[in-house]
Amino acid sequence: MPLPNKRRRARQHFSDSGKPRGLLVAFEGPDGSGKTTQRKLFKTWMKAEGFDVVSTKWNSSPLIKPLIKSRKEVHALSPEEYSLLHAADFRHRVEHDVLPALWAGKLVIADRFLFTGLARDVARGLDLDWVLKLYQPLLWPDLVFYFAVSPTTSGRRVMAERMPNYYEAGQDVTNVDDPVESYQRFVTRVIREYESLAVIFNFITVDAERSISEQHHQIRELFREGQRRPWPEWNLDAVAEWLSLKGNGA
Amino acid sequence: MRKSRPALIAVEGVNGAAVAEAARKALAEAGQPRRGGVSGWDASGVFGELAVAEEDEAGLPSARTLLLLYANDLAFRLRWEIKPALQDGRVVVAAPYVESAIAFGRAAGLSSKWLKALFAFAPRANETRYVAAGIARPGVPTSGLLEFISLRRAKLPQGMTREKLVQGMRAHLDACAKKKK
Repeated sequence: MPLPNKRRRARQHFSDSGKPRGLLVAFEGPDGSGKTTQRKLFKTWMKAEGFDVVSTKWNSSPLIKPLIKSRKEVHALSPEEYSLLHAADFRHRVEHDVLPALWAGKLVIADRFLFTGLARDVARGLDLDWVLKLYQPLLWPDLVFYFAVSPTTSGRRVMAERMPNYYEAGQDVTNVDDPVESYQRFVTRVIREYESLAVIFNFITVDAERSISEQHHQIRELFREGQRRPWPEWNLDAVAEWLSLKGNGA
Repeated sequence: MRKSRPALIAVEGVNGAAVAEAARKALAEAGQPRRGGVSGWDASGVFGELAVAEEDEAGLPSARTLLLLYANDLAFRLRWEIKPALQDGRVVVAAPYVESAIAFGRAAGLSSKWLKALFAFAPRANETRYVAAGIARPGVPTSGLLEFISLRRAKLPQGMTREKLVQGMRAHLDACAKKKK
């Protein structure tokens, strides 16, 4: 089936009001912003509300993750290589986990989405336009919750649990030997990029300095308002490309 | 002592063995003091690791995913093999380089705009040679990029046969070769 037909099929499928349409909700923010805690609470609530929920995490494709892990362990990645491998991991999950679940009318909760790649890669000095192209055709979430914290809070929360690893601390680009100091410098850059992305891509900002309970209740309210948004038409290319692959072992 | 003039020669084609042979020949022409080596695909080892991965559970990678991995491998080759040789004033042969990957992407239906943007980080080669030999027959041992991704481990669009894919790749490379002339 040619691509225009696939686009038509995708539009029809996601506009059909007679069946539940898939929803994609992304949780974004720097390390230590508490988004994983909130993602878990949200998932529990959604299941209780009767949604069929699927979760996907950053850097978790069973095919690509081992390639990234082995290279991270020996500090072998340049910013470009780091970026390209994460984009490959993302694409593989979009094709095998995210789009099949959305097509089946499920709620997909993403613990980090492509914005993590954009924020980190640009903080590593790469060009935003080039990095954005790696993620094309783009798949936009219905809702993006951005958990906003200061660099100090992020650092304090991360250090309370563990020492950040080489790439989390951005030691590949800061040239700072001390992981704690490097983390503070790097996360400051990452947060700056996130804040720009929040404006450009209309994130829903959650004040992640507030209590866990306050944040969760805010997310519930925001989800109720946001879930009625129409299906984002700009996802047509991503869905049409996936449909063209669907018959060949997808 | 004055350094000699560096050069990057790209050798492109669908037949891995023929591309490797043409690369050796191109390097030999450079003369001993200027030889900077041949940079082959998968210097970073990602495809070798992919070949032994449990794809049944993970699902086959699409052409787009494979090209992101190829771009990662090329970034590695540029960092460790190609740029150091050029900085040293030598002749380095990249076999394959960018155009073979673009040929694969175009044949698999990806847009040339996206493919060009993906490889925007790779410097232009001083010279590009196109190898006309066809793809190896199935079952014949080969080390070619396009043979690996087109015959073994790619999830391709519906209706895309191996023959159509190879035809598309060759047509793209032939058109590039003609344009060059």
